[in-house]
Amino acid sequence: MENKLIELRKKIFLTAYSASIAHIASAFSIVEILYTLYLKKVLKYNPTNPYDKERDLFILSKGHGSLALYTILNEAGFFSDDVLKGFSKPGSYLGGEPCVPNIPGVEATTGSLGHGLSIGVGMALAQKMDKKKNKVYVLLGDGECQEGAIWEAAMFASHHKLNNLVAIIDNNKVQKMDTLEKIMGINSWKKNFESFNWKVKEIDGHNIDELEFELKQPEDQERPLLIIANTIKGKGVSIIENNPKWHWKLPNKKELKVIMEELNISEEDIMSCKKHI
Amino acid sequence: MQKAYIEALYELIVKDKNVISCLSDSGTDYDELIAREFPEQCINFGISENNKVAAASGLAACGKIPFVYTTNAFLAYRSYEFIRDDVCLQNRNVKLIGMGCGVSWSTLGPTHHTTEDISALKAIPNLTIFSPASPLEVKKCLKKSYEIEGPVYIRIGMSDEKEIYNNDYLFETGKNIVIKNGDSATVFATGSIISELLEAQSMLLEDNIEIRIINVHTIKPFDVKNIIEECSKQKKVFSLEEHSIIGGIGSSIADIIATNNIDSKLIKIGLNDKFAEGYGTYDQIKQINNLDAKSIYKIIKENI
Repeated sequence: MENKLIELRKKIFLTAYSASIAHIASAFSIVEILYTLYLKKVLKYNPTNPYDKERDLFILSKGHGSLALYTILNEAGFFSDDVLKGFSKPGSYLGGEPCVPNIPGVEATTGSLGHGLSIGVGMALAQKMDKKKNKVYVLLGDGECQEGAIWEAAMFASHHKLNNLVAIIDNNKVQKMDTLEKIMGINSWKKNFESFNWKVKEIDGHNIDELEFELKQPEDQERPLLIIANTIKGKGVSIIENNPKWHWKLPNKKELKVIMEELNISEEDIMSCKKHI
Repeated sequence: MQKAYIEALYELIVKDKNVISCLSDSGTDYDELIAREFPEQCINFGISENNKVAAASGLAACGKIPFVYTTNAFLAYRSYEFIRDDVCLQNRNVKLIGMGCGVSWSTLGPTHHTTEDISALKAIPNLTIFSPASPLEVKKCLKKSYEIEGPVYIRIGMSDEKEIYNNDYLFETGKNIVIKNGDSATVFATGSIISELLEAQSMLLEDNIEIRIINVHTIKPFDVKNIIEECSKQKKVFSLEEHSIIGGIGSSIADIIATNNIDSKLIKIGLNDKFAEGYGTYDQIKQINNLDAKSIYKIIKENI
């Protein structure tokens, strides 16, 4: 893994550790997706004017991955390190799930799953009505696709030819209690979305080059685009990867040692992080 | 009331290109006429209320003013969380219009009746709630909702509601209106059931009972000042609603009486912890459930 991507995960972990809780594994699986969207300039945005009329709109429908989004927004210049360090603490506007209107760069409140794609189709339709070129991106969890509203939105986007809409599924194949396969083994996203007349691409969601290539392709004539990003939940730390128990927890002492080793975290980093608690 | 809604919406659509009519296979011939004239301002979302409410939030985030119109029960109950999280929590400029409030869907039965929506929705912050009493008031609510920058919910009936106003009048958000004067008792009522109450009032007059009728057209913000003033003048007050008595306007009035130490007894008229019973026309369903003029007359007379 590139140093930058290890650094980002280190930042995510230390922020979570300082806050005493967060969805670390869910954040780790989407680091490359968000890195590519924001720092490889797929999205049009302006951190000094977050509501710039020319911006693209991004919705993190799986709101519990918020810490990855906040970390990337911080890297992209939307807010400072000190703001990020306030995550989930009194006085901060950065909560466990993103809320509007207080967070620069956040376009919609999410947290309850299955809402983001519908909000996104509304935004995409508004761009079409106004004959604007701004695009709308929605990042979904794969478990989230068990929600019915996702399929209502998928039908609507296709019927209304919202080719300015890009949905990305964080296809990490693990949800809170177990694998998707064991909980709800109907998850052929490619087949399902293609049958709803979406254009579908399937790629390695941790490969920046693949992500950048697909996300920068010209839009389809008519169809909305779905990118199935195959990811690993907890990517970057061996004991967290693919382990449902890590959906929402902090490490014990033994686990902390492993995380520190694998993410290049020093004792000083941990001490400094405790100061912020 | 549906026709009044469409006429008022038509005026707004003509006036402002950002006004969008959002249906879910829920329109009438009148809607089709608007869609023919203004196709770009009319969207039929199909039978998918949750997607429609959340998409309306997205439309509003981009400067549109969606008027989300569908069967009241499907809007208020099925889409409750979408109304809460996507419209109210994000304080989006979305107008939610529930068509067929109370028992006005009559013979289609309890799945189509909307008799607990006030209880459920009045607890959500940022939401203005209107419950118009007549077709003219539907128009006034719609116009007012357009002027409000934020979420508004309007519960309207269908097609059989009577007009209760002879002349134009001043409609202000959160300001109750005295419909009839009387000293024997005060009745606070909301929605089209006020026309039943007016009939009951005539029957009571024959018994020399003069009731004061207050139209509570705004459920939220509730006219607390008016309730305090009116209840302070009367030892006995009534609430009347085509709705459950749990959490409806009666409950809001009871809260005000209790928290302001007012010495007045409240009798709540409505559905008493039950779904509306029976089948038949709108009038028949009201009769079966003691929500018709004669039943209202009897309840007031027995309790006054």
